Amino acid sequence: MAQPQAQNNNRQTPIRIWNIPVRLFHWTLVGCFITAWLTRDNRYLDIHLFAGYLMAGLIVFRILWGVIGGPYASFRDFAFGWHEVWLYLKGVLNRRPPRFLGHNPAGSWAIYLLLTLGVLIVITGLLGLGGEEQQGPLAGWLNYPQGKLAQDLHELLAWLMLGVVGTHLIGVLVESLLHKENLVSAMLTGYKPAPANAVSAASQWKTGIAMAIIILAGGLIWFQGYLTATANQPYRPFIGPELPDNALWREECGACHLAFHPSLLPARSWRTMMEEQASHFGEDLFLEPDTVAEIKTFLVKNAAEQELTEAAWKINQSIPKSKTLLRITEAPYWLKKHRDISDAIWQNPKVNGKVNCAACHLDAEMGTFEDAAMRLPD
Amino acid sequence: MNIKLIGITALLFAIPFYAQADAISELEAKYQAQGAGPFSAAAGEALWTKTFVDAKSGDRRNCTTCHTTDLTKEGKHARTGKIIKPMAPSINPQRFTKVKKVRKWFVRNCKWVLGRECTAQEKGDVLAFLKRL
Repeated sequence: MAQPQAQNNNRQTPIRIWNIPVRLFHWTLVGCFITAWLTRDNRYLDIHLFAGYLMAGLIVFRILWGVIGGPYASFRDFAFGWHEVWLYLKGVLNRRPPRFLGHNPAGSWAIYLLLTLGVLIVITGLLGLGGEEQQGPLAGWLNYPQGKLAQDLHELLAWLMLGVVGTHLIGVLVESLLHKENLVSAMLTGYKPAPANAVSAASQWKTGIAMAIIILAGGLIWFQGYLTATANQPYRPFIGPELPDNALWREECGACHLAFHPSLLPARSWRTMMEEQASHFGEDLFLEPDTVAEIKTFLVKNAAEQELTEAAWKINQSIPKSKTLLRITEAPYWLKKHRDISDAIWQNPKVNGKVNCAACHLDAEMGTFEDAAMRLPD
Repeated sequence: MNIKLIGITALLFAIPFYAQADAISELEAKYQAQGAGPFSAAAGEALWTKTFVDAKSGDRRNCTTCHTTDLTKEGKHARTGKIIKPMAPSINPQRFTKVKKVRKWFVRNCKWVLGRECTAQEKGDVLAFLKRL
């Protein structure tokens, strides 16, 4: 284990403390955390997921590197107990903390905490993705309410991680001031002033290059859809489940407007709508009784209560059981999701009001309404 | 290519037009049975472009609100913006091939534009106007 070095050593020369993989890990992890935070709106889910998977890969790498990474990178070089952390913090309070070339005891605990939180965030994220979106490797493991729970936990853990990151930054600032050295630049260049007898870390550039290639190749594979997309065939990062379909429903309802999928309203709404087909939003549909019967059966059988999609589950949750809405656009969940859409967008000729879901939702015809299958028209 | 093949191909292409002629004559026979006729394309065109005022909303409506005045082009649903295929049978051979469909749309759209169902005479006139396009 690393020992604190004597202070006021005048014969210090810069040597490499942080090898390239450690630095690349550190700053890529920073990038992942910031990116994931900024893309927490599900509209950017594919970017958020890339940041998450990259974070998972980085953490696995760092644990491995903690065993084989050499001086200053190995866990055994910063395996401090609570007593050492306490002594170090007392030193900070007295404005005379001991100086460590590698991680100091408080910093090491921040690292363990951040790695643990990272692992938990990845796990809860995958569970939420599998439950709420029914996507990813754990798709179908959880139902929507369980997925929501995992999602809430994911957010709570992310806030905790932000707190630890903040503490870490304060720690870096305080130690930099107290020791009059720039720890941020040390993490960039790898170099710190050290006494002549100190061990230097190897650059490990081969591992660094391998990491960089894997990250770049991973990014290219993950986002390749954007490169092949055209204006007519925009890239859809997530393809939803294939939902039940009916030719008569598609023909009759789709003659005047988008054939709104049954999963978008509860069964009671569809029943009322088909019973009142002679005054359908001011128009007499004049459908034959057998047509009405077939469409009604299809609508009721696949209504929102069946929770065929995330939207179905959330729309149904949001409508009070005492209410029978006939417009999807009156569902509280719909209103919440569209409250930030400006009037200018609704009046855009390409959108033409709230009835035209497909203007922005690329998968409206399929009824899946995946979060990341959205784009506002130019 | 032999003559037979050409003949069969030509017949296959003609099927929609036979279906059209069948559906239209069936409808015309029905209207005549209700005491209407003879049918005038000019009267049909006049009705097609005539403006009605919706009693409830005060909106001015006519057939061209959605179908536009150029019936060889696509129209657009006034409320939902959904594209409507061209009305002219010369452009869209599927038009007026199904009796049920024509009946449904006459009810739905007459009620929206005129505020009432069209009479047998009106429907026959409009059909006489549209079928020649």
